[in-house]
Amino acid sequence: MLKNIKSVGVLVAICSVIALLLALTNQITAPIIEKNSAAAANKALLEVMPEGKGFEQVDMSKYTLPATVTEAYKETSGKGYVIKLTTTGYGPGMVIMCGVSADGKVTGAVCLSSNETLSKEKEYGKVFAGKDAAAVEATDTIGGATMTTGAYKNAIKDALTSAKVLGGENVDVRTPEQIFQDNLAAALPAGEGKFTKMFLTEVLEGVDAVYSADNGAGYVAIVGEEFAGIEAEAPTAYPAIADAIKAMTESTLTDVDLTAYEGIHKNVTSAKKTAGGNYVLEVKGAGYGIVGGDEYHPASGEYIVIRVSMTADGKIIDCLTVSQAETPNLGSVCGDESFSSRFDGKTEADIPAVEGIGGATMTTDGYKTAILRCFAAVQILEGGAE
Amino acid sequence: MRKDSNLDVLTKGILKENPVLVLILGTCPTLATTGTVDGAVGMGLAALAVLLCSNVFISLLRNIIPETMRIPCYIVIIAGFVTIVKLFVQAYLPDLYATLGVYLDLITVNCIILGRAEMFASKNPVVKSALDGIGMGIGFTIALTAMAIVREVLGNATFAGNSIAFLEPYKISFLTKAPGGLLVYGLLIALVYVITKGKAPLKKSFSCAGCPNAATCHTACTEKGDEQ
Repeated sequence: MLKNIKSVGVLVAICSVIALLLALTNQITAPIIEKNSAAAANKALLEVMPEGKGFEQVDMSKYTLPATVTEAYKETSGKGYVIKLTTTGYGPGMVIMCGVSADGKVTGAVCLSSNETLSKEKEYGKVFAGKDAAAVEATDTIGGATMTTGAYKNAIKDALTSAKVLGGENVDVRTPEQIFQDNLAAALPAGEGKFTKMFLTEVLEGVDAVYSADNGAGYVAIVGEEFAGIEAEAPTAYPAIADAIKAMTESTLTDVDLTAYEGIHKNVTSAKKTAGGNYVLEVKGAGYGIVGGDEYHPASGEYIVIRVSMTADGKIIDCLTVSQAETPNLGSVCGDESFSSRFDGKTEADIPAVEGIGGATMTTDGYKTAILRCFAAVQILEGGAE
Repeated sequence: MRKDSNLDVLTKGILKENPVLVLILGTCPTLATTGTVDGAVGMGLAALAVLLCSNVFISLLRNIIPETMRIPCYIVIIAGFVTIVKLFVQAYLPDLYATLGVYLDLITVNCIILGRAEMFASKNPVVKSALDGIGMGIGFTIALTAMAIVREVLGNATFAGNSIAFLEPYKISFLTKAPGGLLVYGLLIALVYVITKGKAPLKKSFSCAGCPNAATCHTACTEKGDEQ
């Protein structure tokens, strides 16, 4: 028993001595280690904010910041903020450090690590130096790396927004899509936040787009910056728009026999005439262009199917991509409403200038060619080449 | 039994009883940290410091530490000194600290350290234990450095991070990988065998009696000894 107590006593004594030595060592090394760690962290921060004197990490829990922001540092002399972001392109992975000056301009941006296929976009961060939010928005993405550089650009925008939030400004950090959906819901609360974009077959004066509530509660018309809520069964502040929508939804479309006309391209598969004298056409677009006089799509064998409504005098009312099987994340962008809506209100002469899809020139060309064939078809239909 | 002089104690670890190339101890850090000369030298010197301190401390306490409690005591002492060395490296050599990573902590379980504590420091006076620690540490460092030179120069066409341009087209990248490290390790063991043939205590070292833990492993050692 005594032997055991002695053994334990020796071990305890040795542990105590070692603990004392460790405490002494820690006393000596802790400040140096802390200084080294701060210097290492500052090195990365200084790269994007060379003017910075010192940085302190910001407690992000006190702020509502964009989801891409992972860390935020405040320059101690008030020169601005450095924001660390993790963003997505083809997949999660780009870690970007962005410095933002006190006056809201990018002081520098670097990509610290990435799982993506970075080549010339590796240096992309440099183009943002000295730019404010508007200039960043106007910065071009790199063709062939649209998704990656687009994500990079969005991250920089998030960094600028974050710096504003951290600086105490009241900034909306929701995504544009979230903001849009919130606006729809606010314009027509009875719609319970679920809306579907309507395909317009008639010209609704001043109206850019109409969304119908999925539960049938009514419509929201986008009039410039305004979201006009129109309840189905209640008086509305927008009677003219309400009547126009009602007329459009209640009118019947008349089939047009395309075989009765010569010269209409075979890819224009159907045409209907509206009560207002407009046309609704469906056309097939070939994403991979034209080979040997015909069009084909080697990847999927499927065409892009586009629905276009157009006035008799050749002005697009609405454009919708019905189906597509283009390359994911590249040509597939043609299926997004953000792309098809670029054709709204355009005439034949405007089509070549419509902004294409970065990195998907063939898809863009195929799409535009199909739209131009609709113009040609309407001209024939109106010209009476029967 | 012949008593080794202080010089013998200091020098035997360098070649004759080199812990890595003759006693085949510390294989894990040997393979892991010999990709670069910097890392190998750093690991060798860190292990040397821990060996020296733990040998001296254990030798000082050899008459106090009870037989039944010696392994926990040795581990506490070794782990303590490893942490002390780690903190100093982290403070004063941050680049080396980043290079060695977790292997610095793993010196705690490096069998060279526990082996010398059990085999030598617990039975010998302070000066000889210190010399043993220094000698074994130097031997460990030399072995690691030699291996790292082969792997880095031939595998990566660099020496301590400096490019060797004329070797660039001929570099054998395989050597920088783990299997390449094992190959170089084997070749160096063979080389030391050739150099020390008849001199190194190979039979003893490779048999059960040569195990650094032989003294603590009475049953196994007796059984193995009987077999021989």
